[in-house]
Amino acid sequence: MFKGKLGIIDLSKNKITIKQTPDSLKKLFYGGRGLNSYYLYKMIKPGIDSLSPENVLIFGTGFLTGTLAPNSSRFNVSAKSPETEILGDSNCGGYFAAELRYSGFERLIIKGKAKKPCYLYVTDNKIEIKDSKYYWGMDTTDVQQFLKKDLGPVEVACCGLAGENLVRFACVRTGVKNAAGRCGLGAVMGSKNLKAIAVRGTQGIQIKYPEEMLETVEQLKEYIMNSKITSILGSVGTPLLYEVSNAIGAIRTKNSQLNAWSDSLNAEEIEKLVDKMIGCSSCIVHCRHRNKLGGEGPEYTAVGLLGANLGIEDPADVIELNNICNELGLDISSSGTILAWAFELYEKGIIDKKITEEKLCFGDFELAKRLLYKISRREGFGNILAESTKNVKRFGEKSKNYLTAIKGLPQSDPHDCRYIKAFALGIATSSRGADHLRSRPTLEIFLRLPQEVKERIYGKGIPNDPTSYIGKEKTVYFSDNIFALIDSLGICKFICHGFNSPHFVDYTWMKKLIYSASGWTVKEKELESVGKRVIDIERMFNNREGISRKDDTLPKRYFDDPMPLKISKGHCIDRKEFDKLLTRYYNLRGWTNDGQVKKERVKKLEALA
Amino acid sequence: MKYLYVYPEKCTGCRECSLACSLSKFGECNPKKAAITIVRDEFNRYEFPIVCFQCEDPICLKFCHQNAYQIKDGIVIRDKDKCIGCRLCATLCPYNAVTTFDDEIVKCDLCDGDPKCVKYCSTGAIQYLDETEELEKRRKDMAERFLEIFKK
Ligand code: SF4
Ligand code: SF4
Repeated sequence: MFKGKLGIIDLSKNKITIKQTPDSLKKLFYGGRGLNSYYLYKMIKPGIDSLSPENVLIFGTGFLTGTLAPNSSRFNVSAKSPETEILGDSNCGGYFAAELRYSGFERLIIKGKAKKPCYLYVTDNKIEIKDSKYYWGMDTTDVQQFLKKDLGPVEVACCGLAGENLVRFACVRTGVKNAAGRCGLGAVMGSKNLKAIAVRGTQGIQIKYPEEMLETVEQLKEYIMNSKITSILGSVGTPLLYEVSNAIGAIRTKNSQLNAWSDSLNAEEIEKLVDKMIGCSSCIVHCRHRNKLGGEGPEYTAVGLLGANLGIEDPADVIELNNICNELGLDISSSGTILAWAFELYEKGIIDKKITEEKLCFGDFELAKRLLYKISRREGFGNILAESTKNVKRFGEKSKNYLTAIKGLPQSDPHDCRYIKAFALGIATSSRGADHLRSRPTLEIFLRLPQEVKERIYGKGIPNDPTSYIGKEKTVYFSDNIFALIDSLGICKFICHGFNSPHFVDYTWMKKLIYSASGWTVKEKELESVGKRVIDIERMFNNREGISRKDDTLPKRYFDDPMPLKISKGHCIDRKEFDKLLTRYYNLRGWTNDGQVKKERVKKLEALA
Repeated sequence: MKYLYVYPEKCTGCRECSLACSLSKFGECNPKKAAITIVRDEFNRYEFPIVCFQCEDPICLKFCHQNAYQIKDGIVIRDKDKCIGCRLCATLCPYNAVTTFDDEIVKCDLCDGDPKCVKYCSTGAIQYLDETEELEKRRKDMAERFLEIFKK
């Protein structure tokens, strides 16, 4: 079957229901992030506590996940976020999602809370709730290894100690390092007493037009492989992006007190510690580095946030911190941001030993390591840090001035967004808080890209100047829309048009892939409206939780402190210009001046079923 | 004569090869229903493409009691009509190169000289090359290496 099933698991009632998502809904949201967001809006009552049984946790594969379509390995984990109390959603690669499709399921919706630790065992068309007493308390590698030993060749998504202990930035992990990292969804697993989901499937995904798919993928593969970017990402991976940002002086350093850091973390240095480049299911880019220190990574976010942002220079130290986060099941982006925040607050005397228990300072690898362990076990000061940005209440209003977060979510991008204005607008408006993977128009970094190339993608009237506010609502709007669709199709953003390259998978390629897989004929325009719909329904979820214009803002430092180093020197965000840019963005989206989805649109989307 | 040669050090584990194989042979995407199998374990850090080695003295052929196997132009071919589906070949092949799936037996036939696995591999981890002495040695080395991995 091309179409998979929808499994609804009520852990409180110990009840499993198997259904199917109607085609009519799929044509509106496709799958992955899109359908997850639709179900979250429908199923979660406003104002609930994210760590209560009322929260709903969804594992949803993309429309094309598990097929021959390049890089179609992905799934989204979604729930109300314990870190932000708004929409929580995180996209993840690896082999779990494809395996879930091969078991006949495309989405699992998990409600309630199990009486005692459990895990789900999914096999062909079947879901069982099993006792996980034995696995509770295990690190993320151990639990996966033991489940494989006990059940045979399964793919597993799990939470670590951090998730069990309800750390608000605990991740969901699969494989050696793939993580649905953001928004604390591992803590939602923990709150439901759910340690893991183990899947093993033997069924194929029936393709409507096999010949067409073989042909389309052959052409697309050639197109993608011919790009320079592909071969660079395939040989050094994302650390390349560290260098690109560092060169212009836009790497968050020591909690953004500085904006540039050491060349010792450049891709070529990291490369020395790489054993082999590997890929996710169906991946033709293979950006994952198996490192020589027993794990995988580091990715760009780890290099920036566990390196520069903590004042750490040695790539081996960064890799070790990265591996520790993975084992404990901590989100790397939040970990690096929260630690750096605490370090600066200590330096400034805003917090002291009374709560930190010891001296905090940048550049202290052993300290960082110790704190990660303490956070995951909620020991001492770790128990406080585990509350993430909610600590503004405890540390005092002044502490907020040094926090690099938006809507309660620490910024994931190690890129300091004071220089490139489109990046600033993107993280201010992203539906899950300060995150770059919702809309980052990376092309803005490539300063030498001809204007016509950008205009062809984003529309007319965009000056080739990353520091200009003009037209930047269009670059964010375009990226936000197309990324929402690629997340719904289950394809990796790395081959999405406009993310790292002006080429790659655009609406026309998506149309062809969708047609060959399902036989549906759709127009590019319709596909564009899918992304818009996803973003509107996510905004509706957030509006319902009280989000409005006041929340679409930036860390104070981005407005008030000019950047100190390199070509970014002197740059910061102008409040008035930013405000005008935000208004233009709302206009494009058709939202009200207060950032609300308009009533008529809400009615229309609520009527969908 | 052209054969498939594998380069595990280049294999990323992505399975595009198996997916292309199952898609072209069965119209579905299913890495477990393909003539090429990727044995991978990211925790134990290996990726290894398993293809039929088209043995000179093939065990599958030797033990098939229905004489379903024959060597045609150096390729070991299974005649579907003679085969009664007993799966002895799959059990006996030392390289696990015969895949069985429900009622199907999947055995590599080199796609009439245009192997799909090679076409969809993005790293050159499987190549279809004219045999040379050096490559032959490699083919045998790989067979041995596989047996080693499998023993673990
Ligand atoms: S199926 Fe196995 S025994 Fe038969 S030719 Fe291929 S590798 Fe040799
Ligand atoms: S397509 Fe190539 S890289 Fe991918 S699993 Fe197959 S042999 Fe390995």
